[in-house]
Amino acid sequence: MKIEYTQDTISIEDKVISALDRFVLDFIHLLEKYTDYVIVSGYVPILFGRSRGTEDIDILIKRFDEDVFTQFYDLLIKKGYYFLNPEDSHGLYEMLCECLGIRAAKEDTIIPNVELKFVKNDLDDFSIGKKIKVMLSDKKYLFISPIELEIPYKLYLGSDKDIEDAVYLWGIFKDKIDLNILNRFMKKLNVDGREHGIGI
Amino acid sequence: MVENMELVFDREANRRERLWFVRYYTDWVRKVPNRVWSREQAKFIDSLILNSRNFYLSPEEYLKMKENGSQVKKKR
Repeated sequence: MKIEYTQDTISIEDKVISALDRFVLDFIHLLEKYTDYVIVSGYVPILFGRSRGTEDIDILIKRFDEDVFTQFYDLLIKKGYYFLNPEDSHGLYEMLCECLGIRAAKEDTIIPNVELKFVKNDLDDFSIGKKIKVMLSDKKYLFISPIELEIPYKLYLGSDKDIEDAVYLWGIFKDKIDLNILNRFMKKLNVDGREHGIGI
Repeated sequence: MVENMELVFDREANRRERLWFVRYYTDWVRKVPNRVWSREQAKFIDSLILNSRNFYLSPEEYLKMKENGSQVKKKR
């Protein structure tokens, strides 16, 4: 794997774009017209090569007004998406404000889908404030949460799949990330990666 | 008959084996050019996406399933 890693950018040249990558890139191309976003959780290790699929892409978004959401909603519908939740535009916006996730997919499909949530705590604020721009071929790009937070968060979630994701991200990025920041999040989330060789 | 079958699945051994594979696979990804690992991954993921067209739950049933799952999982 050849990646160029700086404080706020990761470049992956020559990555073959999968159908899942295309789905994500198409969606965020619409989303970013309306708000800042950051992709978190399962899609992050997949973007960097982890050999697994996922049903949903978790995206945190900055809070915005309902009229902006209505414009975004109308654009999605026009572009062939729908929301799995039965609520109308107003109801979906209320769900976001209650810190609930809302799910969008392409018409006549359920998988893959995007789960959108408003940022709601310090960790989310860090994710979006320190987001990393991932540059792909053909000037395509997307924003992900910092790897230094993703690894501890995966350990915190703690399922077999999450721990495997953490081990994978560590294996790929261990000589590139800021270990001080990683260890600060390990401490904050009260997780210990030493059993898996993480953070040493 | 089923009652007499011995349960031989060792969850811990399975977990260790999976983690071994993740590390093995990570080493491979690090060694090969981007085009190689990503081509293999894209083939795998594209087949999963293709197969997801056979997904038989309705949006309502799917949301219910996710809701039940999130109650037992700590999530962002």
